[in-house]
Amino acid sequence: MENSRRDFLRRTCALVAGVSVSPFAANGTTDTETEQAIKYAIIHDETKCIGCNACAEACRETNHVPEGVSRLSIEKTGPYGEYPNQYYHFTRHSCEHCEDAPCVNVCPTGAAYIDKKTGIVSVKADKCVGCQYCLLACPYDIRFINPVTKAADKCDFCQETNLKQGKQPACVEVCPTNALVFGNLKDPNSLLVSTLKTNATQRNKQDLGTRPKLFRITAKPGEISI
Amino acid sequence: MSRINWLLMLSASVLSLALMSQQAYCNDSTEQINNDSCMKCHKRNGKMQGHHALDELNLSCSSCHGEKGNHPKKPNDLMVFSADSDLAVATQNNACLTCHIPKKLADTEWTHNVHAEKVACSACHQLHPQADRIMTLTTKQRSDECQRCHSVQR
Ligand code: SF4
Ligand code: SF4
Ligand code: SF4
Repeated sequence: MENSRRDFLRRTCALVAGVSVSPFAANGTTDTETEQAIKYAIIHDETKCIGCNACAEACRETNHVPEGVSRLSIEKTGPYGEYPNQYYHFTRHSCEHCEDAPCVNVCPTGAAYIDKKTGIVSVKADKCVGCQYCLLACPYDIRFINPVTKAADKCDFCQETNLKQGKQPACVEVCPTNALVFGNLKDPNSLLVSTLKTNATQRNKQDLGTRPKLFRITAKPGEISI
Repeated sequence: MSRINWLLMLSASVLSLALMSQQAYCNDSTEQINNDSCMKCHKRNGKMQGHHALDELNLSCSSCHGEKGNHPKKPNDLMVFSADSDLAVATQNNACLTCHIPKKLADTEWTHNVHAEKVACSACHQLHPQADRIMTLTTKQRSDECQRCHSVQR
C-alpha cells in the first residue's frame, strides 16, 4: 500500500514536470530551423581582397543606396612592413546576418525581421518609425537611417534586387578576385560550404552569441597573391 | 603690434605664393621643354604638355629620359617608360623618384605603396598629355582600373 502510494506520487510528479517543461523544450529545439532549407551566409576572403571597392560601388548602384551612407564598406588598415615592401589588410564592414539578431530583438514595431525562409535579416521600411534602437543595438555598427526612405537600412543580401532575379548579390558578382563567396549553409554541395570546410574562418564578436553569418578568411601577414 | 604685422605679412606672402603656383599650373607656359633640341626630330610625338612641361620646373626631355648618347643608334642609354619597355620597373621608377618622395606619394594614394616594386609609374600615369587621366577618376573608374590587372577567371 505504502509502495503503491509512493509510486503514484512519483508518477504524478514526473507527469507534471514533463508537461510543464515540454513547451520550453519545443521552443528550444531547432525544429523550425531543421525545416528551413535555405540559410544564406557570405565569406570574405581577406587574403584575396585587393581593396578595390568594386563591391561597395556595385552595392550602391544595385540597391540605390544614397551617397553619404553605405550598406557595405571595405576598411583598410596599414601599411604594414617597410617601403617598398608594404601591404594592407582589408575587412568587410556590412551586416553579418546574425541568427540571434539584437537589431530584431529590440525593434518595437517588427520592422526589423529575420526572413524565416532564408535567414536574411532585413527591414520593412514601411513599418520602421526611425527610433534608431536597432542602430544602437547592432554590435557591428552597420545600420543607418536611409536619408531617402527615412527608415533603418542595411545589407539584405540583395533580397529585393539581385536575389529576386536569380543572381548572386551585386558585391559578389562584381568582385574581380573572387574574394566574396555567397551561398546556402544548408547545401552541402555549395561553394560556400566547401570553402568553409577547407579554410579556417573567423567571425566577428562571436562571444556575444549573435551567431553572425559573415565568415572571414583572415589575411596572414605578407603578400597578397593574385 | 609688430607681431600682428609680421603675421599679416607672412600670411600675405603665403597667399601670394599659393596664388602664383596656382597660376603657374593653369598657364600653358611650356616654351622651354618644347624648344628642346629633341623636338627637332620628335615633332610627330606631339607637344609636351601637362604639369611636367611647366617652365618653372625647368625640366628637359633628358631630365627623365636620360642623355641622348648614342641615340638614335642602338643600343643607347635612353629610357623608355612603358609596359613593354626593356627596362626593369625599378629603373623606370627611380627616374620618377628623383623628385617624388615615397612617403608623400603614399600619403596621397595608398596604392603607391603596394605597387612600388611591381608596377611602373607609367602603367597608370601619363606625363606628356595636358591632363593625367588617373588623377580625375570617378570611384567606379578607379575600381575598373584595379581590375585591369587584378581579375581572376570564374
Ligand atoms: S549585424 Fe547588426 S544589423 Fe546585421 S543582423 Fe547583426 S545586429 Fe542586425
Ligand atoms: S549582398 Fe547586396 S546589399 Fe549586401 S553588401 Fe552585397 S551588394 Fe550590398
Ligand atoms: S570587390 Fe572584392 S577585391 Fe574588391 S574590395 Fe570588394 S571584396 Fe575586395
